Amino acid sequence: MRILLAEDDSMLGDGLRAGLRQLGFQVDWVRDGIAAERELASGVYAAGVLDLGLPMKDGLDVLQALRARRIVTPVLVLTARDAIPDRVRGLDLGADDYVIKPVDLNELAARLRSLIRRAHGQMQEVLTCERVELDPSARQVRLDGQAVVLSTREFDLLHALMRNAGRVLSREQLEQQMYSWGHEVESNTIEVHIHHLRRKLHPEAIQTVRGVGYTVWRMQVAP
Amino acid sequence: MKAGWWLPRSLQARLLAMVLGLVTVVWLCAAMLTWVDTSHELDELLDAHLAQSAALLVLEADGDEDDVGDIPFFNKYTHEVGFQVFIDGKLITRSPNAGTTPMSTVTDGLSTVRMPNGANWRVIGVQLPSRRVQAFVGEQLESRQAILRALLRNVLWPLLIALPLLAIAIWWSVHMGLAPLRDLSRLLGKRRPQALDPVVLQDMPDEMRPMVGELNQLLERIGGMVLAERRFTADAAHELRTPIAAIRAQAQVALGAGEDVAQRSHALHATLAGCDRATRLVEQLLMLARLEAQGVRSAMPVNLCAVVRRVAADLAPAALAHTQSLEVEGEGACNVAADETLLGVLVRNLVDNALRYSPAGARVLVTLQPCAQGVELRVQDSGPGMAPAEIQRLGERFFRVLGTDQPGSGLGWSIVKRIADVTGADVQIARSELLGGMAVTVVWPT
Repeated sequence: MRILLAEDDSMLGDGLRAGLRQLGFQVDWVRDGIAAERELASGVYAAGVLDLGLPMKDGLDVLQALRARRIVTPVLVLTARDAIPDRVRGLDLGADDYVIKPVDLNELAARLRSLIRRAHGQMQEVLTCERVELDPSARQVRLDGQAVVLSTREFDLLHALMRNAGRVLSREQLEQQMYSWGHEVESNTIEVHIHHLRRKLHPEAIQTVRGVGYTVWRMQVAP
Repeated sequence: MKAGWWLPRSLQARLLAMVLGLVTVVWLCAAMLTWVDTSHELDELLDAHLAQSAALLVLEADGDEDDVGDIPFFNKYTHEVGFQVFIDGKLITRSPNAGTTPMSTVTDGLSTVRMPNGANWRVIGVQLPSRRVQAFVGEQLESRQAILRALLRNVLWPLLIALPLLAIAIWWSVHMGLAPLRDLSRLLGKRRPQALDPVVLQDMPDEMRPMVGELNQLLERIGGMVLAERRFTADAAHELRTPIAAIRAQAQVALGAGEDVAQRSHALHATLAGCDRATRLVEQLLMLARLEAQGVRSAMPVNLCAVVRRVAADLAPAALAHTQSLEVEGEGACNVAADETLLGVLVRNLVDNALRYSPAGARVLVTLQPCAQGVELRVQDSGPGMAPAEIQRLGERFFRVLGTDQPGSGLGWSIVKRIADVTGADVQIARSELLGGMAVTVVWPT
């Protein structure tokens, strides 16, 4: 899952980026409010982590501007401002979660997964699609209950498809959701990963819509 | 103005004493004037009556030598007056209370005589020019004084009755007049220490308005200070939380790095740097807190040159490690009357800032020289400098220039300003003409 980190403090930003990457997120990091607004508005991020005391444009202003533009990307506000009025204001302006610094990286990751899940209308964390089960927090995939070993990219690709089950995603959309900045993406990378996934799971696990993109059908909510 | 020891402390008692004292003095003066004036007029009138009576007696008795005898008392008042008529030295007639010898030795005119019974009499003697007939008419002086006493009594009695009434009236009206003061003290007594809204008093007399106005202005100023302190606390918490959050995140990254040695090493180094940063921030906060508590005070002259050289020697190794050059130019006597430790902190902050915000290879120049106003310290660098808007915001606590990766807290400048205030110096920031970066000039007047 690709997320945007907006944090002006270099040491904290560096730590959060490294930590979230360890926990399986693709992280892009911006250091000011204007860049944060621009990047979040692009729609390629599954969620954003927003510091409030950002230079150029305050985090709350960024949030307000995004919501005014009907951009619904989930945003987690990460701040040192812990007063109740600040929290209320943050949530009322459209924050999906409000976390006070310092935060445990595992908790931050769990909250982000929860935000992204809710944004896709899921109740449960584990995604199920016919015979395939995907657990984002454990980063595990099972076929008919049997664990399947996938590479990081393969997992991210399957996750992106299953998160958007029923929707057709273009190759560009998939690339944007999978790769943070600084990664060169070969033109056939997605095709290669799709091919591997079909081999490791089963040939009908992912459908190709010619000239449009890829999709996984019907999503079932696990009992 | 200090009240005299003789004035009561209570306004009410003071007013009461003054008004009652003044009324009594005025009244007594009036009584005295009445006494003097009336006694004079009374004497004139009664003396005229005596003279007239004596003249009548003399005329009556002339040539009428046979009517010898005593005249009976007509009523009780005749005790107080008496007369004698002599013809050729022989007593012809007298009042019963007059003796047989002449009442006075003054045969023609007024005199005051002590009678054998001890009473003082006012006597007039009248003679016919032939000196055959001599009359004396006298009157007890005591009766005149009785009249005066009665008069005085009538003047003074009302005073004795009026004074207590006046006292009660004054006490009451002053008590009522001071009611707003009591209301105010009750209102202030009931206030919570946090309450900083203006004091509003119903029906406040004009005399109290300036006081309450000043009080409200004071409350407003205190409110501003409290607000600034609260904001500072919030900012300080924010500034402390960020390095702690960074330390925590980096430590977790190190824990989760697994086999990735490079990542773990990077994260651990970042953790240590975060600890250093938090330490520095806490030190600066403590320094600032100590400075806030410290008022302006005088001190012995300190050789600023020595202070600057010591600070430069401390900071030079780090500067050299960044291939930055640090130079000190000082000449003349540069004595400043200020605490040596504070001066050291100020110089260290200025030089440290210049080094910190200048790139590798930059030049930092510290000059020290006597100037027209006193002693001038200037720290210049060849760094990127600051925009005018940024210079304006400098000194807001925790303000940091954007785009700098230096882990500054934004407190250094606040500390510099505060020390300058405490030691009576003036601080100016401008672009350095010589090096192109920032130039901070501090002048201590002598």
